[in-house]
Amino acid sequence: MKFLKREDIPGLLGRLSERFRVYVPVKRAEVVLWRPWREGVQPALEHQGTEPPKAVLFPRSETLLRFGCERKEVQVEETIEAPPTVIFGSRPCDARGFLIYDRVFLDEGNPDPYYRARREATTIVTVLCLDPERTCFCSTVGGGPLDEEGSDLVLLPLEGGYLAKALTPKGEALLGDGAFVEASEGQLSEAERLRERAKMEPLLELDGIPERFNESFTSDLWERVSQKCISCGACTFLCPTCYCFNITDERTPEGAERLRNWDACMFYHYTLEASGHNPRPTKAERYRNRIGHKFSYYPSLYEGLFACCGCGRCIKSCPVSLDIREVLRELVSYGK
Amino acid sequence: MIDKLKEAVREHLEELELVIGYGEGYDPLHATPIFVRRPEEVDRLLWNPLCVYNLATYLYGLKGKKVGVVVKGCDSRSVLQLLNEGLISREEVFLFGLPCSGVLDLRKLAERVDVGRVEEVSWQEGKILVRTREKEETIPLEEVLQDRCLSCPYPTPLIYDVLLGDPLPPKGENEALLRQVKELEELTPPERLRYWKEELERCIRCYACRNACPLCVCQDWCAAEARDPHWISMRDGVKEKWMWQVLHALHLAGRCTGCGECERACPMGIPLLRIRMKINAELRELFDYEAGVKEGERPPLLTYQVSEPKIEEPKW
Amino acid sequence: MSGMEERERRIVGFLCNWCSYGGADTAGVARLQQPTDLRILRVPCSGRVNPLLVVKAFLEGADGVLVSGCHPGDCHYVEGNYYARRRLELLKRFLPFMGIEPGRFEYTWVSSSEGQRWQKVATEFVEEIHRLGPFAGWEDEG
Repeated sequence: MKFLKREDIPGLLGRLSERFRVYVPVKRAEVVLWRPWREGVQPALEHQGTEPPKAVLFPRSETLLRFGCERKEVQVEETIEAPPTVIFGSRPCDARGFLIYDRVFLDEGNPDPYYRARREATTIVTVLCLDPERTCFCSTVGGGPLDEEGSDLVLLPLEGGYLAKALTPKGEALLGDGAFVEASEGQLSEAERLRERAKMEPLLELDGIPERFNESFTSDLWERVSQKCISCGACTFLCPTCYCFNITDERTPEGAERLRNWDACMFYHYTLEASGHNPRPTKAERYRNRIGHKFSYYPSLYEGLFACCGCGRCIKSCPVSLDIREVLRELVSYGK
Repeated sequence: MIDKLKEAVREHLEELELVIGYGEGYDPLHATPIFVRRPEEVDRLLWNPLCVYNLATYLYGLKGKKVGVVVKGCDSRSVLQLLNEGLISREEVFLFGLPCSGVLDLRKLAERVDVGRVEEVSWQEGKILVRTREKEETIPLEEVLQDRCLSCPYPTPLIYDVLLGDPLPPKGENEALLRQVKELEELTPPERLRYWKEELERCIRCYACRNACPLCVCQDWCAAEARDPHWISMRDGVKEKWMWQVLHALHLAGRCTGCGECERACPMGIPLLRIRMKINAELRELFDYEAGVKEGERPPLLTYQVSEPKIEEPKW
Repeated sequence: MSGMEERERRIVGFLCNWCSYGGADTAGVARLQQPTDLRILRVPCSGRVNPLLVVKAFLEGADGVLVSGCHPGDCHYVEGNYYARRRLELLKRFLPFMGIEPGRFEYTWVSSSEGQRWQKVATEFVEEIHRLGPFAGWEDEG
């Protein structure tokens, strides 16, 4: 096991930036954002980001291809951008989000070349959580504050720095930096103690929730739980596991480009059809779809994995403080 | 006041399909909108400085139903503006008016306490006590109220069916918000552009600002998302985010009541209110107009005068 | 400012069909010298000018935008320019707050017989834009 001193982090990030594009959490006003590290940028590693680092692998807006017409010939230019990247300072919930994306975007039969290129080029360095916030519920959905799944290198906060453990060859490759020194016996036992204390009990048992959801499909429960929702996209856009997108073409001076942008099932437009018909015209149907996707449809396709990492961002950022845990609580006992 | 509110709601619940009020939120620092339909639910209502939400935002979507709604002074202006524009009808709303001395700004509080780990909150005369696992802090409310509350011109609802507390005198004439506008006007225009680029860069176009606004009733058909005409690109540039805010503010000109929900709802903490307040201030100066204050008043951009005393002739 | 390069700028003019466009035409017919970098867009009425059109022009590379309509009281559609006056005055006061220097957006009233007046308006407005320089606000935004 290695140890990384807090004061050695700027040096480490500087050296990493010579080979990688390094993303770190930074504090701006009272929010924590993911931004490229530059000399002088202070990473806010003690905070869960207000936004997750999802845009590093799944940008808010990306150009899939550009096309133009030269005389009568159509030129198409593919635009895959995937420089070597390090996400430095994600949380276990953020890493879990990428696992959920992997099932969808790295599907063997039909992989997404844009995501795949970026995923393969990215190393994820996760800071484990010793003190979850009140809104965290990762252990309820299969994750946990000390969960290592999905990360290449994990950092456990100790006195003066972090205990570092590599989980993959990508993570190993980073440990070669001189900032990582051998951990002492004292640090190892401190780590053991802290890990014991950091266990988080699941809030509730989500066994059977896909079935409860299906049973509740026509219930008025959905109207009730969604009545305060204002149908914005805050929960979706800040969710590490939400991955819906919309593809549109836009003119450019040279021709046009095909864009892929984040979309949210909470918006009215999401299922609006060209005919004008909308199968999900009200908030109730849309919210039901959100919960259904995360806790029934996705698990049924991917071995019971929930499309939720319990990070609590949807709760914190919701303008009307809608709490998904409350909805789950109701759903779990539906029909009983 | 909360007991009077509960009593009034109980009294009128029968004639209403539902009453929108404030209830307990997911932690001691949050309330949340609740929809009361049955008498047993009335006791869930509460009233304290955590009641930040402008419940008038639900009214347009509930047209056709007779609903009751709890309104603070600022919220009542939104209701009045919706009525003035004919977007809701007076007979369909029953207003429980609560005079308000200010609501909390969680972002200001976050500078002083770890708001994600609060275990208990209690109130004393003019103070808030916040307890986390690490410490307990007593903070004078004035230091953590929203800026707009510090100089609130209308703490007492301007329109109501029942008023459930003693009217409160105005705290000012919006000086705190106008100061935010003035601060920016002390910069040069290029410095201002730089400021807006810095602040708007973190916008994620979630449209929480739009959807939280009580006056934004066309959110499902918003011009910002239209493809024909294609006002704003779907690209993720700061240009597009700037245009979105300008579009929103201009579409709200003469309609915005300065309730600040846009800024509060923004998950990225972008200072949006001052954009709208600048327009509000200009309309005040040009046409002596404030949205949602006078019943039956027509928004200034929907009308005109043959001679406009405050508009100077073009220089040529 | 002497030494200022005299390259053409991108300056857009929204001129109402009945008065201002006619006025510009009158100026042209009378062979009055006009700046070549004011690009005129004909609209039915100044009241048709959505303030967002002005904003979009700045976003798409305009250095200056001018709106010109009939004199208040003489609108071909009776009241279009009354609405325009209110909207555009508000826009004029709002744009500097968002970072677009005063002087880049102006609105005025020119009737179809005012050829010389159009020449003056166009020349002076374009001169001011040249003095302010290119609007570089979005240069680094791709």
